[in-house]
Amino acid sequence: MAATMKLGTLGHAASMLSTGLLDEQFQKLLLLQDGSDPNFVAETITLFCEDGERTIGELTKQLDKRCVNFDEVAAFVHKLEGGSATVGAQRVKNTCIQFLEFCKEKSRDGCLKTLDTLRVVFYDVSGKFKAMLQLEQQQAEATK
Amino acid sequence: MMTSFVQGSPVKALIVEDTAVHALILSTILRKFHCEITMAENGNEAVQLFLEGKKFDIIFCDKDMPVMSGPETIEKIRALGESHVKIVGISADYDAQEAFVSAGADVFLPKPMKFDVVGPMIQEVINKKNNSMV
Repeated sequence: MAATMKLGTLGHAASMLSTGLLDEQFQKLLLLQDGSDPNFVAETITLFCEDGERTIGELTKQLDKRCVNFDEVAAFVHKLEGGSATVGAQRVKNTCIQFLEFCKEKSRDGCLKTLDTLRVVFYDVSGKFKAMLQLEQQQAEATK
Repeated sequence: MMTSFVQGSPVKALIVEDTAVHALILSTILRKFHCEITMAENGNEAVQLFLEGKKFDIIFCDKDMPVMSGPETIEKIRALGESHVKIVGISADYDAQEAFVSAGADVFLPKPMKFDVVGPMIQEVINKKNNSMV
């Protein structure tokens, strides 16, 4: 685990790993953080959260249209799938995989139901990520 | 992570990627090998760089991007006579390998990327640069 991350933060990450919210890809990400890139994990998960929120907003708009373009919906889901796989957000990734199946079937109902699940799963992980970053910041300030 | 064995100018890497998270992770890995990094958000920007006379030792190129896809970008770069630059196609779509290789990519890396495969690629480029200097 990254030497530059505080114990409390690592504990938070460990809990997310043990509950299946994150997978081993996140551990690989932690290893990339070092003295030369001390904010790498914070920047990465902040970008993931911002991109994810934007994508969910776009998916909501796309599925609200009278005539749904399932290829476009799939493109957005595919992007979120890629981002979540890269940061190790396992449950988000798996939900995206289910979503893509409904896109292939051109099932609006299936897509809408999965979007609801995606929202729950995404905001769960992003909320925990944000809490982890806040803790990291608080601990950094406490040791100054 | 291994450090680079640079003897001379740093490896010039171009990252063609529209997703900020992926671009950040890749650039962080490449910085550990002291690469000189240029970013392009889409294939059109990447091609423009070559048209402006920029040269790169290695390109990491995503597949699905707005404006111009990865394989199309690679075809255009190769068509400009850039036969020596090592091109790595990256995608979460495992079926993308054929499209990338047909377009002229040297290697395909599936996403999520195994971070430890990047080092040997950079080392290979460094060795090639060092050999060409002899």
